[in-house]
Amino acid sequence: MLDTLVFMVVVVPFLVAGLLYVVRPDGVRKLIVSAMALVLIGSALALLAQGPFLMAVPAAVNELVVLLDFLLLFLILVYSYKWKSRLAVWLTLFQIAALAWLDFGLADHGKAGPAIMADHLSLIMLLVINIVGSFIAIYALGYMKVHEEELALAKSRQPRFFFFFILFFGAMNGLVLSNNLDWMYFFWEITTFCCVMLIAHDHTEIALKNATRALWMNVLGGATFVSGLILIQKVAGTMFLTDLFAMGPMGAGGGALLIPLFLLVFTGFTKSAQPPFESWLCGAMVAPTPVSALLHSSTMVKAGVYMVLRLAPLYAGTFLSSFIAVFGAFCFVATAALAVGQSNGKKVLAYSTISNLALIICCAGLNTPASITAAILLIIFHAVSKGLLFMCVGTIEQKIHSRDIEDMRGLYGVMPKTAVIAIIGVVTMMLPPFGMLLAKWMAVESAMGQFLVIALMAAGSALTVLFWARWAGALLSAPFDAERPEKLPFSVRMPHVVLASLAVLLSVGAPFVYYGLAEPVVAMYYHAQAFTMQYGSFVSSTGMFVVYPLFILLGLGLIFALRAAGRVTPSEIAAPYMCGAQTTVDGKAAFTGPMRTPVVSVSGNYYLDALFGEKKLSHLANSVAIVLLIIMLGGVL
Amino acid sequence: MIGKLVFALVATALAPVLGGLISGVDRRITAWLQSRYGPPVLQPFYDVLKLLGKRPMATNIWQVLCAYVYLSAAAVSVFLFFLQTDLLLIFFTLTVGAVFLVMGALASPSPYSQIGGQRELLQMLAYEPLLILVFVAIAMTTGSFKISAVFAMDKPLLYSLPLIFVVLGYALTIKLRKSPFDISTCHHAHQELVRGVLTEYSGPYLAALEIAHWFEVVLMLSICALFWATSVWGMLILVALTYFVEILVDNVMARMTWKWMLRSVLGVGLVLSVLNMLWLYAN
Repeated sequence: MLDTLVFMVVVVPFLVAGLLYVVRPDGVRKLIVSAMALVLIGSALALLAQGPFLMAVPAAVNELVVLLDFLLLFLILVYSYKWKSRLAVWLTLFQIAALAWLDFGLADHGKAGPAIMADHLSLIMLLVINIVGSFIAIYALGYMKVHEEELALAKSRQPRFFFFFILFFGAMNGLVLSNNLDWMYFFWEITTFCCVMLIAHDHTEIALKNATRALWMNVLGGATFVSGLILIQKVAGTMFLTDLFAMGPMGAGGGALLIPLFLLVFTGFTKSAQPPFESWLCGAMVAPTPVSALLHSSTMVKAGVYMVLRLAPLYAGTFLSSFIAVFGAFCFVATAALAVGQSNGKKVLAYSTISNLALIICCAGLNTPASITAAILLIIFHAVSKGLLFMCVGTIEQKIHSRDIEDMRGLYGVMPKTAVIAIIGVVTMMLPPFGMLLAKWMAVESAMGQFLVIALMAAGSALTVLFWARWAGALLSAPFDAERPEKLPFSVRMPHVVLASLAVLLSVGAPFVYYGLAEPVVAMYYHAQAFTMQYGSFVSSTGMFVVYPLFILLGLGLIFALRAAGRVTPSEIAAPYMCGAQTTVDGKAAFTGPMRTPVVSVSGNYYLDALFGEKKLSHLANSVAIVLLIIMLGGVL
Repeated sequence: MIGKLVFALVATALAPVLGGLISGVDRRITAWLQSRYGPPVLQPFYDVLKLLGKRPMATNIWQVLCAYVYLSAAAVSVFLFFLQTDLLLIFFTLTVGAVFLVMGALASPSPYSQIGGQRELLQMLAYEPLLILVFVAIAMTTGSFKISAVFAMDKPLLYSLPLIFVVLGYALTIKLRKSPFDISTCHHAHQELVRGVLTEYSGPYLAALEIAHWFEVVLMLSICALFWATSVWGMLILVALTYFVEILVDNVMARMTWKWMLRSVLGVGLVLSVLNMLWLYAN
């Protein structure tokens, strides 16, 4: 049973991807993707019910993985050469040489162990990848149809698109289930490759340029990954995570293990697009929107924070850990500030993703039971809300042909349902009583005593509120055109509704999410409980978060407000104040200007380019991040 | 538990009454400082009652929704305060109200309310980090974010956190919408702004926002009172003195720009917090 389920989540996506590459009819593709979504969701849930496990595989499979790993590296080498990235070529050559040394020179092949391991952290990741990811895959079916109609392609490129898209699922599932770090590296490189191929999908000049950048940054991560593995093998004499955890904090090698741990955490930073590597994720938005939704919510960047969080018990209590916290807190503020300067909706989402990932990294660095709980909840809630918001922006863009927040003014008039769903997405990202805020509350409280970290967190959350509130306001903003019914295909509407409901329901069920998913991880690695539940509230020695009372009270407030808003009759709607010179032009608010000509009033948000402009700020953020990384490296050496 | 709940409910019900009275006294003292006679102390209640009786008008329904969510969130945060829950949680609940106030302002196409909304966001950017720092400093002194821990102290917080109290004063000035920080809206209209975020609200909706503001005033002053939680008279005197200083500042300062606000508030606030924390650790 167990091996069937693991086969379902890891190997089946590879087979389905291959199938989708050869099948051309739209209907068949829809059927295959929907069936696969059901299988993945079912298997992930079944694995959760099964609980943690270890699994050994035949030696032949291990050899196959090694073989495929080299093939993959050569493939990456070919693309690096083709796209003329000298840096990527050298880094890939380095990886091939290093991997050869590791596999044929260093590794102790006599020492067998379970290659596959799932603890509650892996199971949480499986749920996030397969549930959120599957709905995005279904959304991609409807989105790509319209996307290709707009491009007016002679021959559909959807088979290629879905090949890499579905491959992602297998690679991510494999990554989080790997106990053998060699395997994890293999799956890690597959996600890099798929991601780069998807960014390049539209084959425009900018797509290729951004794909090349994503390639070299992620290949750099691959190079530090394999270097870290070599050092781990040398210091600890094992490639298995379970062995490393059995050695306890710091491992058998004492301080010597810190260097490989730093290299692996650094690898996580590159994948999670932390400064100075944030540009690859911002560049990734040239890909069709479902790709962004998938990369930002459940896959790719989450692999980076998974790595940092996975290794957290190993570096607990060290200099490295506190520095990871400071680095994360800094990146949290820096990228939130970058988001403030953007009016491009997708870019705001991208920077907000990086910012939230930085917060997760910061929590991993704080390394207390409460902060690890916060990190896990952030991963779960962020995946749902961010996947939802990206889908919304994609749907909006296909209708209004712009992704600029200023063009979304009055969206409620054009797309009432999507606008409301987008607002739900925004509200679940930034306000209590929803899960993101619960996690943020845990994060801030667990940082108590570390004034620098907490000051950075305070600034970051204020900036976060600023850019979200502005966007939600623009969505509600008048002028509205006459309300029209909004029609969308089922494959587009359904994932919106499901993820929006999930975002709200998971927050309502936060205590269950905590007890069922987060608490077991903390109990396993930290032998302590971060919170207890009393009267539907999270209680710790340092504070309490009243989940249910807050839901009930604010829920009543919302119902009261909705009723009041529902009672407003059309006769009570007035024109806005224009100093007594108001008039209308095509139903839009205007004022009588010079020469008695009516002027339509136009408003825009403050983007404060002088303070938060990307050009100036990203240089500063990257420089500080590089300095922090150098200090971190200096510390571990 | 039941006793605590009843106390919190009663306190929440009385909060707008107290807020209105404070606002009335504020107007009298301000008038006295400006050598005017001023309105009766109950004038704010007459104003709100009159607004409640007016015919409702709005530029769109979202404004109405946002006004009432703001009111609910403000009331809930006061309730959570008197239930002696978590300071950080109360802060986050307060944010709900602030965000919906901005969303309501942005929902209208009026240029005045749009500018007000943007400026309100910048005000939030200025006071939110300060409030978090204040709460963290309190928690680092008492060992917990719970308000009950403050009341368990045997020495007033002001002794150990004097500079933090000044930081709270900055946040208070912004929240009370007093000069030099009355840049998003104010008790009276301004030339370039009219009434900013409140411009497009009238009748019962404006009354709802006014009551929500009273809730927030009570909450902010209660947070000030925490700094002398050891005696009731201490709390009263501290709050009265603080409020009088706020009125003085309001009357002697000019309105400033948002750039000046961000620079000075965040700069001074951060430096004072760090100094206070260093001093605390040194002891």
